[in-house]
Amino acid sequence: MIEFDLLKLEPREKIATAEDVRLDLELDKIIGVAAGDDKLIAETWLEVLLSKECPKEVTEYRQEAVRDALKNRGSVLRMYQIAREGYEKAYREVFLYRLDDPKFVVNEASSGVSILVDYLEKLLEVVSSTSFTSIAFRSLADSLISNVDKNFIDKAREINSILGFGSSVDFSVEIGVLNSLVNPVLLLPRNEGSIVSRLLFGEKKYTYRLDPRDEAGARILEDIRNWVLAGVATTVLNAFDKLLGFFRELARQLSFYVGAINLSDFLEKAGIPKTYPEINPRKLYFENLYPLSLAISSGRKPVPNSLDLDVDGSFAVIITGVNKGGKTTFIKSVGQALLLARAGLFVPAERFVIPSTGAVLTHFLREEERTFSYGKFEEEVNRFRTLVEAIRRGDYVLMDESFVSTNHVEASVVAENVASALLDSGVNVIYVTFLQDFLYRFIPKYSGKAVLLVPERLSDGTRTYKLVKGAIQPGYALEVWRKIAGENVKVEVA
Amino acid sequence: MSYRSILGSRGRRVGEDQVLYDLRIRELASEILGRERDELLWSLFQEPLDSVDAAVYRLDVFRDLMNESIYTAVERFVEKIRLALDYLEMEKDAFEPHKLGLHLDAALTYVEALENFYNEMTSLDVRSQGLRGFMGYIGEIIRGTRFKAMKERAWEAKNARSKIRIRVRIVGDKVHVWRFDGGEDLGKIIEELFARFREGEVKKVRYIPTTSGFSHVHAAILEGAFKLFRDEYETLKRFREEFPEILDEGVVAFAREVRFYLLYLKFMRSLMKRGYAFTIPRFTLDGRIDVRGFYNILLAEKGVAIPNDISTVGSKRIFVVTGMNSGGKTTFATSFGQLAYLAKLGLPLPAERAEIPFFSTITTAYPAREDPRESLSRLEQDVVRAIDILRKADGSTLIITNELFATTTSDEGYVLSKIFLEEVSKRGSYCIFVTFIPQVASLDFVISMVAQPSREDPTKPSYRILPGPPPSEYMAVRIASKYGLSYKELKAMVK
Repeated sequence: MIEFDLLKLEPREKIATAEDVRLDLELDKIIGVAAGDDKLIAETWLEVLLSKECPKEVTEYRQEAVRDALKNRGSVLRMYQIAREGYEKAYREVFLYRLDDPKFVVNEASSGVSILVDYLEKLLEVVSSTSFTSIAFRSLADSLISNVDKNFIDKAREINSILGFGSSVDFSVEIGVLNSLVNPVLLLPRNEGSIVSRLLFGEKKYTYRLDPRDEAGARILEDIRNWVLAGVATTVLNAFDKLLGFFRELARQLSFYVGAINLSDFLEKAGIPKTYPEINPRKLYFENLYPLSLAISSGRKPVPNSLDLDVDGSFAVIITGVNKGGKTTFIKSVGQALLLARAGLFVPAERFVIPSTGAVLTHFLREEERTFSYGKFEEEVNRFRTLVEAIRRGDYVLMDESFVSTNHVEASVVAENVASALLDSGVNVIYVTFLQDFLYRFIPKYSGKAVLLVPERLSDGTRTYKLVKGAIQPGYALEVWRKIAGENVKVEVA
Repeated sequence: MSYRSILGSRGRRVGEDQVLYDLRIRELASEILGRERDELLWSLFQEPLDSVDAAVYRLDVFRDLMNESIYTAVERFVEKIRLALDYLEMEKDAFEPHKLGLHLDAALTYVEALENFYNEMTSLDVRSQGLRGFMGYIGEIIRGTRFKAMKERAWEAKNARSKIRIRVRIVGDKVHVWRFDGGEDLGKIIEELFARFREGEVKKVRYIPTTSGFSHVHAAILEGAFKLFRDEYETLKRFREEFPEILDEGVVAFAREVRFYLLYLKFMRSLMKRGYAFTIPRFTLDGRIDVRGFYNILLAEKGVAIPNDISTVGSKRIFVVTGMNSGGKTTFATSFGQLAYLAKLGLPLPAERAEIPFFSTITTAYPAREDPRESLSRLEQDVVRAIDILRKADGSTLIITNELFATTTSDEGYVLSKIFLEEVSKRGSYCIFVTFIPQVASLDFVISMVAQPSREDPTKPSYRILPGPPPSEYMAVRIASKYGLSYKELKAMVK
């Protein structure tokens, strides 16, 4: 049996809020670069990036294969081309629009088999002349070489010629209930009148010839022929489908690596570094991480960010501060890099270390939620509820201004409850928020696990679009009050 | 021994078509019989039985058949007998080589049906006179020498047939036939060749025959086979010559008649699956009625029937049904009429429990359909109908009336109703009297039943009909007051 699995994507299940993540993290921009006009690459990338399960071993397995594919890019691109061409040619030229006409199916499917066998031969050539190093590609090559040989290809071609259009049919048949003919078995045509069979059976034969005017009889004969071919039609059809499925599956799996080659080319051209992520349960570390979707849409090399955080089971990165300071760009860039990393791809950074390959879930503000309304708040809470339904330890929840559809006092309580609960149960949180009550309570409470980031401002007031570690300033508001009200109004500090 | 009908004695055709119409008996029959075409079964639904004994005879058969195993055995038997009959029917027009097979398989099917049925039934607890009688009948057939000989010969012929295997080649307009002498299965070769590829979604190519398998070309192939397998052919031919007749007349009659039971049971099951009950009635002799949880079959089909109870010790036999509009009064009356009618056919009833008298006749007076050619007014028609009913009514008549005397003032309607019901009462007849004149319910010789509003929303009906005095307040007034239109509120609003 030909076995290969370049992706290890089973079970093929997406995270619950896949559509949100796709929009919130602008995945279409990244996939656009990887896929170009190729819909198959786009589909595969979307599926891999948003897949629910992604254990560390799978991440590493794919990472090794991505490196291999970049090294043997010529062969990978050629294999992809053969797989797609074979699939598309067979798909285009074989008409199987009706499955209730065995004669027709046998004819179409067997010609499909012969098309695909030609491509199989080509594929074998490429595979045998490439030295892959990754487990993924190595086992694909081994499986192909050991299962498909000259003998197989010859036999497959012979079957097509036996089942070709207009030939005679030989079959055995028995007499069943009501003296109807039953159990037809299509037989390999026999060399008629061979000496052996003549000797053994005396060649006793009965022949019936249709009257030339018997049109009904001719139709019945065709019907019997169809009846006899029905069994083998299913077999040939499934043989063809298996072959076609092989090509389709191969193309699908290779498409991920072709996308990786394309993204790698993009980064190189843009002068953005790429690194293969490392997994270390005690670390969240990145050095010059570039916001990928921004680089793609702006066509420029954006400002990178760096962060170094020790992780003890889980972490929280809370981001606050002035608008247009790069907060949303930052949270998106981290989300994108996390998705690429767990998928086994490289990320646009000098170095990238993450504590786990958990799923990435997003809860970003919807513009219509900016007004206060309990109806909207209910919707927002409901959306959050869907998101956390299947959440697990080690996952990442990215929140951008969650819970602002109600006043900040109550929103803070909700935010605090939610964020604390996630963090305490081992889920990582990255949260952009202006909720003051929340910040003042949450940051001191989780001083060991949480870090506060704010946009950097140079002493002359210039924005750098980088985020730096910040600190909350208790009593700041009173301070401001005092400043403005002056000595005219006394403020009692409890 | 001759065959005695499983239906017992037959009833008498209902004289008044109007009753069948009012009680919707034809609709009921078509729900039960579906697309059945046998006229006999349709006519049985229009033939109420004359005696309790006749009804009990059928109900006993039903009681047996409500045992799952007995039902299945009978059903299977009937299917087999019908199949054998179909084969013999086909044989008439078939080509010679096919005739041999159709005849043989009719015999094999018949033999198997009889034996299996007899063995199965003997091991089951069959109690009804009807089914026990039939078992005795077929027991005798099975033990007969002719049946035994037929069975033996049929098996010989079948074994001979199964030895035939040929190799056929179709090339152009020619068909060659040889005795089969080995060969390689092409399908298997292909399957093995492609086993190395992973299985995808498995599709199946369907062969839809465009000609029958009994054509002259098929016959020609068979003829070839028979020429190459001479002895086997002779055995097949001999069987048909020796046993030209196969099925016993009584068995055929049973297979036809017993479907009256099977179809009804099938119908019962479909309703029982939806939570509706059926019961075998007990017939009372002292005028007592005690029916629990009876419901309308036609509504139950749609899953919306609400069960109700009705009972009397027998001294009062008139039920006056009043209450809110569209509260289920007519349905209540009609359903009880249907129940009584089904009992007279010897059928299990749509109720949890049913004790009723065996009504001699069931008669109805529903609002007349307007007929412009009729010279009488509707009130006149009502009175004509009422008097006609009274003329025929006796102590075991059931009368169902719906808004009789409605086309006059309610004072006059009350008076007419009172007169009519007094007469009914004198005769000791049973009556369900649906009316919107509440005074009728206050007559001292009647039982008052009232359609109740829903507990959750008193403006909606509950379709429950309970004994008790008619309501003091009308629904229409209640709804008006909900919108502040009661006397007091309206007065307070107008300053």
